[in-house]
Amino acid sequence: MRKTNERGPSIRRRLFTLLLVPAALVLAAGTLTDYLASRSPLRDAYDQALIDAAIAIAAYVEPDARGNATLTLSPHAIALLRSDSSDSIYFQVSGANGRYVAGDAGLPQLHQTVSNPARGDAHYGGERIRMVAYRAMTTAGPIIVTVAETMHKRDNTLNRILSSALLVDAAQLSLVLLLIWLGVRLAMVPLHQVEKQIGSRSPRDLAALPTAEVPVEILSLVKTINRLFNVLRDTGSAQRRFLESAAHQLRTPLTGVQAQLELLAAEATEPNQERLERVLDATRRLAHTTHQLLTLARSDEAANLNWDFTSLDLAQLVESIVTQRLATADLAGIDLGAQIEPARVRGVAWLLEEALGNLVNNAIAHTPGGGSVTVQCGSEHGAAFLEVIDTGVGIPPAERQHVQERFFRASNARGNGTGLGLAIVNEVAQLHGAGLSIDAGPNERGTAIRLTFPPEAGTSV
Amino acid sequence: MRVLIVEDDPLIADAVRQALLKSGFAADIVTSAEAAASALQAESFDLAVVDIGLPREDGLHLVRRLRAGGKSTPILMLTARDGLSDRVNALDLGADDYMTKPFEVAELVARCRALIRRANSAANNQLSFGGLQLDMTHHALSIGSRPVELTQREWSILECLVLNAGRIVSKDRLMSSVTDWTEELTPNAIEVYVSRLRGKLGDAARIRAVRGMGYRIDEKNK
Repeated sequence: MRKTNERGPSIRRRLFTLLLVPAALVLAAGTLTDYLASRSPLRDAYDQALIDAAIAIAAYVEPDARGNATLTLSPHAIALLRSDSSDSIYFQVSGANGRYVAGDAGLPQLHQTVSNPARGDAHYGGERIRMVAYRAMTTAGPIIVTVAETMHKRDNTLNRILSSALLVDAAQLSLVLLLIWLGVRLAMVPLHQVEKQIGSRSPRDLAALPTAEVPVEILSLVKTINRLFNVLRDTGSAQRRFLESAAHQLRTPLTGVQAQLELLAAEATEPNQERLERVLDATRRLAHTTHQLLTLARSDEAANLNWDFTSLDLAQLVESIVTQRLATADLAGIDLGAQIEPARVRGVAWLLEEALGNLVNNAIAHTPGGGSVTVQCGSEHGAAFLEVIDTGVGIPPAERQHVQERFFRASNARGNGTGLGLAIVNEVAQLHGAGLSIDAGPNERGTAIRLTFPPEAGTSV
Repeated sequence: MRVLIVEDDPLIADAVRQALLKSGFAADIVTSAEAAASALQAESFDLAVVDIGLPREDGLHLVRRLRAGGKSTPILMLTARDGLSDRVNALDLGADDYMTKPFEVAELVARCRALIRRANSAANNQLSFGGLQLDMTHHALSIGSRPVELTQREWSILECLVLNAGRIVSKDRLMSSVTDWTEELTPNAIEVYVSRLRGKLGDAARIRAVRGMGYRIDEKNK
């Protein structure tokens, strides 16, 4: 369940995506706006410095002896004007008709615009430059002072602004991300609790889930699950009632017929006696098969949804079965014994009794007179086990996995068993989460069949 | 010896009655819990064989009612259901034994006899088992009319086995029946006592060892 969840759609992932992507986009847009908004005041401030310089230069333009405009600024002052730590500063003074007066002769000229001073960008000396052109009326007539500078400090400042904005926005984004993550996690807690509640239940536990703490969003889901549990419970009980009724309906007439035949056979004289004995024998087999089939049906998981698993003493179980089967073993000339170490399991008592009874029956049926059958219980590495070991004909290794199938009988099986015994054992083992292993007995003789139960704590139901 | 059979299936009831009659019991049949209650009230029975699956009031209910009313007649329950819970319920409610259908008639008769014997021994402190007569008051054993000398420990072991006839009694249990807190006894000592006891019982009863579990006393003819 958990595994498929990782791959399938996830509400948490969906919430993350739906919240994070728009939040990231909004923050990115904010950064861009900040950047664009800070660009023009910055440009204006630097432009103003150029304009101030142009105005200052214009003040030093005077007419010379011939009336032509000339720059009277000393070379020292010009050097001062040009000095800048990061940018190259250029200027040019020209007359109104475009006549060169002073400064950098090749400096590009701005197109004249209405605004004064005019501002613009150009390329000069292989670099981008920013220019201002200031038209002024001097005593030497109209002039244009153009001042330009390379863009280094503007670019640096913009970069600094951009990077600090990015830093702040990245911090904001991380904070938002963290808050969303925490929020989504907290919001999912009630869902996880319901999931855990369902996940930690035993498959046999069909009690309704409590709905008091369930969030409204999944309340109807939980209620539907509860309805389903209810249906399963009812189905399980109905199946059980049916099987109990079937057991009663089948066994009662069989008991009567078998008991009457037993009396008749005891009273009859030859040749009727022999015939009655044969009919009695067939009736016993019929009764046995009926019992086995009913047990098999009732050991089925579906019929056992509501069985009460209780803590059971395996030693008691072994004693009970050995006591019951002692007479049969005596008749067959088999030494039936036990080796009992204390062990407890959680289980359904009558089913374990059926399983062990079948194992002992099989062992007695397939062991020649003079042999022995030993029933063991105990625990190994914390796991309780039940084992039946015989010195009989054994099960050929190739057939060991098939003998658990219904109606399968090993090729060397003796007598006329139903072929259901080990199928019952297998069903009972599965219901108890127990492992079933079939091996040869000691010294590679006979058969050893073992049920290994899960540690008792692990099977709590 | 009179047995009341409470069974609504005529074929089974008749077979049980015939078998009991042949073994020297008297037997009457009723087919409902209500009829059983009034029959047990009105007359004296040594044993009741009660089917659990009766119409209307079931057998378990009947047993509870009888025991609650102070009736101590031994009760053998019959059921067509497997499921240990029925057995546990039956024994908890005060039934004395339990058999699952289908059963062997011969075994049913043997169990009836054992139940009646146990009830009588409790009443008059005399217990007979196979060829053995045990005087529980005086701790005296006789076979036929011949008294048999037993030591205190041999008696304790025999008493423990006979009182649990049909069941396997572990060596530990036998050991605790022959010793008090001050004594130390090895499992081997039990084997010695049992072997002496076997010699004294002769053919009257058989004490058999069950490997890994303990001892069980059987009537010799079994």
